Amino acid sequence: MQENAATQSQAGSSQIRRSKPRKKKKNQVPFGFLGLLLIAAVALVLGQKNGTLALFWVFGCCFGFILQKARFCFTASMRDPCITGSTSVTRAVLIAFAITTIGFTAIKYGAFVNGGQIPGQSYVMPVSLATCVGGVMFGIGMVIAGGCASGTLMRVGEGFGMQILSLFFFVVGSLIGASHMGWWTLNFNATAPKVFLPDVFGWAGALILQLAVIGLLYIAADKYEKKRMGNTDED
Amino acid sequence: MAEFTVDCLGEACPVPLMKVQKQMEKMAVGDVLIAQIDHSCAMKNIPEWARNNGHNVEIEEVDDGEWEIVIEKTK
Repeated sequence: MQENAATQSQAGSSQIRRSKPRKKKKNQVPFGFLGLLLIAAVALVLGQKNGTLALFWVFGCCFGFILQKARFCFTASMRDPCITGSTSVTRAVLIAFAITTIGFTAIKYGAFVNGGQIPGQSYVMPVSLATCVGGVMFGIGMVIAGGCASGTLMRVGEGFGMQILSLFFFVVGSLIGASHMGWWTLNFNATAPKVFLPDVFGWAGALILQLAVIGLLYIAADKYEKKRMGNTDED
Repeated sequence: MAEFTVDCLGEACPVPLMKVQKQMEKMAVGDVLIAQIDHSCAMKNIPEWARNNGHNVEIEEVDDGEWEIVIEKTK
C-alpha cells in the first residue's frame, strides 16, 4: 500500500507543478473484502431457497462491477459525439450490441431448433410513433439526469448524491409510465407492427443484417471521430 | 503561468466537461487548470477531450471518490 502511494505521488509530481498537499486517504481494501464476503453470504442464503435467484444475484453483482470499472455509459455513447466528438464509448456500446446479438441469436435459435418456446419473445415490442417520442424524451432526460437507468444505479452505488435524486424520480416516472401503459398500448401500439427480424429475413439473414448495420455504424463512428478531433492516438 | 480552479463537485456529466471547455478558452498558453470532480465519468471524458486537444493532463485522486484533473494548456 505504502509503495503504491509513493509511486503515485512520484507520478503526480512529474510535469505539471501544483501547490496543494495531498489529503490522507482511508484504506478501503478491508471494506472491499467485507463486501465480497457479504455478496457471497447473500448468494449462499439465496441459493438454499432458489438456485436461479442466487444466479441472478451473482450476475447482477458482476454486471454492476464491470459497469463501474469500465465506466460504461449509454448516455455518454450518445452524448459525447455531440459535445466532444469522441466516439470511444459509442464504439464500445456497438461492440457490446454485436456480442449480445450473437449471444441472443444463439439462445433463441437453440430454443427454436429444439422445438421449445423461444425465450424472450414478449420483449419483441411494437414499433410506433410512441417509440420515437419515448426515445427522444428518454434521451433528453438521461442527459439532464447524467445517466441512463444502469448508469444512474451505478453512480448511486458510488455515492453520488445528485443521482440519488435522479433515481427517485426515475422510479416515480417509471411508476407513472407503467400505470399509463395500457392507454398507450390501446391507442398507439395495438395496430403497430411487431417485427422479429428472423421472421422476415431468416435466422442467418437477420444475424448478418444486424451485424452489418452495427459494423457500418462502427465505421461511421470511427470516421466521425477522426473528422471531429483530427487524428487521435487513444486506444 | 496562472493557475485556475474549476469547482465541479456535485456536478454530473457532462457539466464538468463543459465548464472545463469554457474555462480553457479563456486561458493563455502555459496556464494550468485544476478541475475538482467527484463524478466518476468526468474522469474519462475530460482527460480524453484534453489529451485529444494536445494538452498535458494528470489525474489525482485527492480523496475517496474525489479527483483533481490537472490540465496544462499547451496551445
